[in-house]
Amino acid sequence: MIFDISHRTLFRYSAPVAQSQHVVHMSPRQVDGQTIRNHSLLIEPAPANRSSFDDAFGNPVVMIDIEMPHKELVLHARSSIETRRVPPKDLASSSAWDGLDDRKGGIDFDVVQFRCVSRMTTPSLAIADYARQSFPPEGPILQGAFDLTKRIYRDFTFDATATDISTPITEVFETRRGVCQDFAHLALASLRALRIPARYISGYILTSPPPGKSKLQGTDASHAWISVWAPETGWVDFDPTNGVVVGNAHVTIAHGRDYDDVSPISGVLIGGGEHTVTVGVDVVPTP
Amino acid sequence: MTVTAPSIAAEIPEIMSAYRPLGAGSYDECIDQSGALRPAWRSMITSIDAMSPAERADRARRMDRRVRDTGIAYDIFADPSKGAQRWQLDLVPFILSSSEWRLLEQALVQRARLFDRLLADLYSTQDTMRRGLVPPELIFSDPAFLRPCETVLPSAGPLQFYAADLARGADGQWRVIDNHTETNAGIGFALANRVVHTHVAGDIFKAANGVRLSAYFQAMQSALTAHSGRDNARIALLTPGPHHEDYFSHAYLARYLGYLLVEGNDLRTKGTQVYLKTLEGLKDVDLIVRCVDGRAIDPLELDPGGFDGPAGLLRVWRKSPHLIVNAVGSAVVQNRGLGGYLPALCKDMLGEDLLLADAPRTWLGDAAGRKRILQNLDGVVIRKAQEGTGRPGQAALGHNTRALDASARAILEQDIALHGARLVAEEKIGFSTAPIFTRDGLVPRPFAVRLFVARTATGYQAMPGGLAMSVDPDRAVALTAPDGHTRDVWVLSDTEQAPHVSLWRPTVENARVQRSQRVIQSRVADDLFWLGRYCERADWTMRVVRSALRRVEEDSGPATGRRAARRCLEMLLPVDKDAKRPTPPAADDAEIERLSALLVSGKTGLRTLDRTFSGLFRVANLARDRLSHEAWQTLTKFRPGDTWASALGKAAPVATLDFLEEGLAGIAAFNGLMHENMTRNFGWSFLDMGRRLERAYNLCEAIHTLFVPATDAEDEASSLMLLLELADSFITYRSRYRLDPMLPLVLDLLLLDESNPRSLAYQLIAISSHMAGLPDNKQGSSLSEDRRLGLALLTSTRLADVAAIAQDSERELLAKLMDEHLDSLPELSNAVARHYFNLMDDVPQRVHTRVDPRP
Repeated sequence: MIFDISHRTLFRYSAPVAQSQHVVHMSPRQVDGQTIRNHSLLIEPAPANRSSFDDAFGNPVVMIDIEMPHKELVLHARSSIETRRVPPKDLASSSAWDGLDDRKGGIDFDVVQFRCVSRMTTPSLAIADYARQSFPPEGPILQGAFDLTKRIYRDFTFDATATDISTPITEVFETRRGVCQDFAHLALASLRALRIPARYISGYILTSPPPGKSKLQGTDASHAWISVWAPETGWVDFDPTNGVVVGNAHVTIAHGRDYDDVSPISGVLIGGGEHTVTVGVDVVPTP
Repeated sequence: MTVTAPSIAAEIPEIMSAYRPLGAGSYDECIDQSGALRPAWRSMITSIDAMSPAERADRARRMDRRVRDTGIAYDIFADPSKGAQRWQLDLVPFILSSSEWRLLEQALVQRARLFDRLLADLYSTQDTMRRGLVPPELIFSDPAFLRPCETVLPSAGPLQFYAADLARGADGQWRVIDNHTETNAGIGFALANRVVHTHVAGDIFKAANGVRLSAYFQAMQSALTAHSGRDNARIALLTPGPHHEDYFSHAYLARYLGYLLVEGNDLRTKGTQVYLKTLEGLKDVDLIVRCVDGRAIDPLELDPGGFDGPAGLLRVWRKSPHLIVNAVGSAVVQNRGLGGYLPALCKDMLGEDLLLADAPRTWLGDAAGRKRILQNLDGVVIRKAQEGTGRPGQAALGHNTRALDASARAILEQDIALHGARLVAEEKIGFSTAPIFTRDGLVPRPFAVRLFVARTATGYQAMPGGLAMSVDPDRAVALTAPDGHTRDVWVLSDTEQAPHVSLWRPTVENARVQRSQRVIQSRVADDLFWLGRYCERADWTMRVVRSALRRVEEDSGPATGRRAARRCLEMLLPVDKDAKRPTPPAADDAEIERLSALLVSGKTGLRTLDRTFSGLFRVANLARDRLSHEAWQTLTKFRPGDTWASALGKAAPVATLDFLEEGLAGIAAFNGLMHENMTRNFGWSFLDMGRRLERAYNLCEAIHTLFVPATDAEDEASSLMLLLELADSFITYRSRYRLDPMLPLVLDLLLLDESNPRSLAYQLIAISSHMAGLPDNKQGSSLSEDRRLGLALLTSTRLADVAAIAQDSERELLAKLMDEHLDSLPELSNAVARHYFNLMDDVPQRVHTRVDPRP
């Protein structure tokens, strides 16, 4: 499928911002099963400095400085991306999760870092117990990962008001509520508690309008899910928020250990007072 | 057998006669197994033995006082009366013989080389991890491994400074118990200890032929200058600020090396450049000596909560990798889990055998090691692999496994299984003992020592000295000092020493005649301005209380004098809201004493002495690197909790007068020292402006309080006497007029007389002339707001007609003039702040977007 994607973020400040610096992860990276046909990132007001490079995980990063006083900042990314993902048919034929260390040839070096816990994915003993229920001894990695994905979907309630950016996963685990990024972090903590390589994916998802209604502009969303590694298949994506194996309705922007590595926009301001953020995402399939 | 005993005993100096090693299995640094004094210790012990007990006690006392005066402490804001973490320096140093030092030096330099190479690898090709020399999960699990720093490689190598904590086991072998690769961890403490120790026991040091430290610091300094790439480099030492436990160390080192001490907020980045915010605008910085945690150095790309460095610094660093030492992210190689892998790494990377091993530790991320430890958990200590603090003596304690009950143990086992990659298990090691000086003579204490290494032009060099601290051997294999008891470390030389060169005084080749202003950070200008204000406020409030209590004490004085004094006390206190209290008679002695007590130690109101002293001490601390040692000394009595300050708070009214005299003398001494010794640069301008502004305000307020509205002649006479006393102008008045005080003459002397350093006009002229000399960053030809206000006030004062004012029985003219000043002076203070102190640059804040879709 080919998608035309528009991702527009508007910051409004109650007082002028004297200087702002931002790190932006809104430009899509190259991944298997996905072709970038077109991409642009517009920023207003025009930054005094703008530089692009790839971060330690290979994601394209744009860094911007705005030196003139401003009360509004717009970042608008437009991309045209084709997805041709082929999820593995047989999840049960992947290696046993508890046999990874004994595997001949070991684990690819680039994969090892994703077995390690990060600031936002540090498991508690309770989370480790929760994870183990999906991974019986000698259970196949991908089957366990899919089971975990479905359990999180079933056991947890989507609630945009229950958490914020600083809510730790231990709290998400207790209240059983959160948003996609919380569920992704919880799944990662669970997998990493068992030292199964898994990474955080930031991207977009195509949403369908309610039956009988036409789709409204700006109602699609940026999204977060996970990817799990098995020796036979490499990385396979799962979406705990929707309880599915990721197919062609997801578009990847960046991956990392957790949200910290790939936050779409993070910045430091001087001045600005209070701020509001408006995000509009449209994911339009083209014929 | 019995024949040899007396001959050994004869060799033992008397002071050592009761000295016994702690146990049969322990190693003592000072005496060997046979009980004989080790040769390296002989000279020092003999010197101390030769002193009379009184002299020893006296030297120990002087040492103690010097430590306090220098302000060596973990937390400079801590109440010194609570002695829990007091820094103590022992009269008896710890001694290393020259042969032993050569071995240690070689081993430490080898380690610095190894860590430097390892860091370069971890942040580039990661060859060591790919080849399994270092377990990748150990590195990737360490929060100190900073991914955004990958591929940034300073050409000189990432490691400029290295420090190691060492302990000697019962077998006599040294072991490294902790590595510090993040910053120059605590070197300022070691330096200050040496300076204090030499001051009190320099003769013993000389007699023992100890090696001086200055050559090491010179080599460090020239290496940093070379590293910066400029002869006349602007080098900044970046500290988290005075709230940090190691601030003393940072400030002391910055002063010693002559570097600017800056905080994150003093810097800002623009594109790929970093600048220092100064009164004259943004200035280049050539080199940053990092004394903050790497991950707190850039809130934009690293720890989002870390504001110890300016946002965007990492981008600047990427462009100029030589800019920051140590390289950002260098803490990863101090991970305790690496200890077991160092021998193989050393062999592989340097082609050498590791000279000095780490204390035995097991990284619990390793499956086999974890299994072994879990099978035999008793007696090991479980600790974090990465601790992150370099604070000497403050290493965190571990989980002692022996005291655990079954359920706690089960949880610990699960915890180890889950978080093993971030934990180590350590076996206890013995700590050797060395003597400390106590009232009962010398007694042995277990200790550990921190030694320092820096890169110089000729490669790494170890500092011939260090910091020894008493440890509690049961708590962890680390430098954990329960009582803050420290010792200087002497390295003895077997050759003659080169003459002493201190860095306090640069050598002639290094010194350049430089009369231009040394840059001053906007923040420091702010601190000095407030230092001036608080000093003057303390002086004035003490004068008011003194005058009031004197009038109570002099029983024969007129009631009018007590009435006037009471009005001045009330002027400095907030309005008493407790209306139920009956109003006491105006001249009531008890009421004056009550108000005085409120003004001295009350907790309400902005101008009580209690508040003023704590403000004074706080800003003096912030500006400490701009004050001379003597100037600082005079202010230490105002430290909250100091004996003088707490005695003042508790004193009876009569005794209070004596304390006030002492306090006033302290402020006068400080002002005198600053006046005599401070270079007339921008810093001086701000200090003096602060003082002048405060004085002008207080004077106007007192005049308004005492003379508006008009009173009868007797009251007015008493008010005039009081005002002259407060403004310290009585003698001037008397010598000039030889009359009883009269309102027009007093107003002329205190408002208009431009030659009287206490007059309003004098203050305003001084303020205006300071402002005229300051850099004016504002564009355009119109006067800046601060200069305009200053000029307006001075003009209105000069135009005042005192004869008319004094004749006006309604006092409207006087009220108008004073009101104008009382309104405008605070505005002037704000205008100065706005113009120079970067208040517009308020604290940076962080924003981010949350991924927050509908499902």
